Amino acid sequence: MSNKEKYAKVFIKCFSLDKNKLKKDVKYNSVPKWDSVGHMNMIAKLEEEFKISMEMDDIIDFSSFKTGIKILKKYKIKI
Amino acid sequence: MKKSLNSNELLLYQPNRYPFLMIDYVTSYVPGKYAEGYKNFTNNEWFFPIHFKDNPNVPGALQLECMAQMLTVAITTLPGLKGKITHALEHKVRFKKEIKPGDKLILKTKVLNWKRGICDGLAKGFVDEDLACEAEMKITIPEILEKYIPSKPK
Repeated sequence: MSNKEKYAKVFIKCFSLDKNKLKKDVKYNSVPKWDSVGHMNMIAKLEEEFKISMEMDDIIDFSSFKTGIKILKKYKIKI
Repeated sequence: MKKSLNSNELLLYQPNRYPFLMIDYVTSYVPGKYAEGYKNFTNNEWFFPIHFKDNPNVPGALQLECMAQMLTVAITTLPGLKGKITHALEHKVRFKKEIKPGDKLILKTKVLNWKRGICDGLAKGFVDEDLACEAEMKITIPEILEKYIPSKPK
């Protein structure tokens, strides 16, 4: 599975999303399950999937599907 | 040496107060790992006359609260967290046995994961060695969790 597929899978699973929804970007609080608890759950799943540990500022800045792709680059994860 | 907290000492780690303090004694704990103890239910509990008049028993919501308050102690005994307020996030609970006036509810809670203000844990309550209630719990210290949350989109 590619990094892109892994990344999308975490979003789909954590927020019960349809694949098509990700094409238009998804933002924090724009879908019912991406609330504060959903956010921390998603970060934990990404850390587990890519074997990284994210810094506090990056967790706060991780406010959309597209922004997350940029943030993961810092951890040498190319989506 | 085994650590315990008597009814006064536990008030430092558990911010709930009468009539909503739902644990009496912490018999043992390891910060960040587990907390065990008990709650004695006497006829003087405020809810027994109304839940229910002819069959007094402990409301399920309060059994859940007993378990959540004990799990809280397992977290708030960690360095720097003394007395912090916790909130419930998600619980999956099962009630197995009615708890009556005179019963002693033995509480056993375990921390499965503690990270960035969120605790996943397990809790069980026993009366006379019988399982009375159990729960998979997610609680938070909002003061910590809020530091990690993005601002809402405009």
